Amino acid sequence: MITIPYLTAVSTYFSYGLLFAFGQLRDYSRLIFDWWSTNNLQGYAPICLAHEDFYIRRLYHRIQDCFGRPISSAPDAWVDVVERYSNDNNKTLKRTTKSKRCLNLGSYNYLGFGSFDEYCTPRVIEALKKFSASTCSSRVDAGTTSVHAELEECVANYVGKPAAIVTGMGFATNSAIIPVLIGKGGLIISDSLNHTSIVNGARGSGATIRVFQHNTPGHLERVLKEQIAEGQPRTHRPWKKIMVVVEGIYSMEGEICQLPEIVSICKKYKAYVYLDEAHSIGAIGKTGRGVCELLGVDPADVDIMMGTFTKSFGSCGGYIAGSKDLIQYLKYHCPAHLYATSISTPSAQQIISAIKVILGEDGSNRGAQKLARIRENSNFFRAELQKMGFEVLGDNDSPVMPIMLYNPAKIPAFSRECLRENVAVVVVGFPATPLLLARARICISASHSREDLIKALQVISKAGDLTGIKYFPAAPKKQEEEKDGIKLD
Amino acid sequence: MYVRAIPTTDVNRNTEWFTYPGVWTTYILILFFSWLLVLSVFHCSPGIAWTIVHLAHFTVTYHSFHWKKGTPFGDDQGIYNRLTWWEQIDNGKQLTRNRKFLTVVPVVLSMLGLQ
Repeated sequence: MITIPYLTAVSTYFSYGLLFAFGQLRDYSRLIFDWWSTNNLQGYAPICLAHEDFYIRRLYHRIQDCFGRPISSAPDAWVDVVERYSNDNNKTLKRTTKSKRCLNLGSYNYLGFGSFDEYCTPRVIEALKKFSASTCSSRVDAGTTSVHAELEECVANYVGKPAAIVTGMGFATNSAIIPVLIGKGGLIISDSLNHTSIVNGARGSGATIRVFQHNTPGHLERVLKEQIAEGQPRTHRPWKKIMVVVEGIYSMEGEICQLPEIVSICKKYKAYVYLDEAHSIGAIGKTGRGVCELLGVDPADVDIMMGTFTKSFGSCGGYIAGSKDLIQYLKYHCPAHLYATSISTPSAQQIISAIKVILGEDGSNRGAQKLARIRENSNFFRAELQKMGFEVLGDNDSPVMPIMLYNPAKIPAFSRECLRENVAVVVVGFPATPLLLARARICISASHSREDLIKALQVISKAGDLTGIKYFPAAPKKQEEEKDGIKLD
Repeated sequence: MYVRAIPTTDVNRNTEWFTYPGVWTTYILILFFSWLLVLSVFHCSPGIAWTIVHLAHFTVTYHSFHWKKGTPFGDDQGIYNRLTWWEQIDNGKQLTRNRKFLTVVPVVLSMLGLQ
């Protein structure tokens, strides 16, 4: 639940209205200008419909230097951000050869596997020497090595399911597998804030899609009841299959899904549960097994568990874990398995080594230390930000914390001010978030030390004062000290 | 002073901003301030100023709500490319509160112009 000051909401709408009005005026003057000048593209159709790239041309390009910043080192706690300059008002950006060493609050480096690791990196280099960088084939042709087989077993054991299938790209895992699982005549009920990969997969499957209010099991039950009673559109026959798609941690909100209630509702109405644990696997739970462990849900109750290796394991790719029959079916039917190149072997080795470190099978307790540290860091950072008066979303224990900005002008102001002070943050605006709710998303890592976090807090506080985003009153700290002073006297 | 923003079930990013709190107030305030602007620039009577605001409002809303089709960004793969904003709002449901509000505003503006 996001609480906005009313004045901020009104001023945000007004700012966007002004930006859109100016964009339209510039478009009209461009139209008149172009009518006078001739061009050599007579008879060609336009490359995109005139209205479709309005947002990118008129709003996104103005603040383009805040997005897509190239980095020139490994995404560790500190990262080298390449400096860019622009000669034509941010329409094109040119890279320089200089780079700035910045505190990295944007990478999904939850457990610190993003840079050199003493257990993982030697093994990855060995795998690179033995198997080379790419398998040059899809899984079914010649792309399955012993490392791939070991990886699938390892992932299945880690997640608590009988079998798993691994693909080379996390986005493609969702968008290629959902059409295989459900088709026309089926019903997909997805959370309103699900990721684009799930939306693409659902639209590509041909099934009917219904949306339920974010993280509200009551509304999910109402939607399920209504849809089961109505049946398929127009024919009113019963649905062939109903699948409910939720995420473990929502990447834009930092909220943890209410899995126990959703699983019990789905059991009652006999719907399948598809859990996307992209951000929660490896980051939450006592041994890092994700949201099922944190909330005490038996993995056998969740029918399909999906996750990615980009976030906590420092690699790339995604997996689906489920029953042996399901995985066998997917291996015969999923295009990401049959035709797409298999995951690169050194990356697969990185995942196996990372899982071994997390479970403590490498002989040390670094895994448990990392998990404890990320929990500590997240809770400390969130508590301090809330004490300063920022509006921070997300539940306790979640390493993703969005700080609300709201006004479109504050998006580049906050981002540039932080970069000036050598802190790299990621800001997100419309259309990835709703129009009103632009935010700066902070991702905490286990490799951030206490000093790093304190420096980040100072910089964010200064930037927050400059841009005026401390929407809540700061927690009174000095009054308590004075009271203690009086009592001692 | 604070309002709660509950995420809606509308997946169309082009129209879901209209369901959040504060939109109606902003709309009415923009009309009011443009009326003051017209009064100060043209030094006419209030009724004529309201009529000018009403006509300008007609041009802007006809163009943006009932003429332009599709969405200003490409993320939704063009599924709304044949629908105007008025057809997209509230997922196509008719007679919702938002539609009733947007229908009443020009009527009120024209009546204010009759002064």
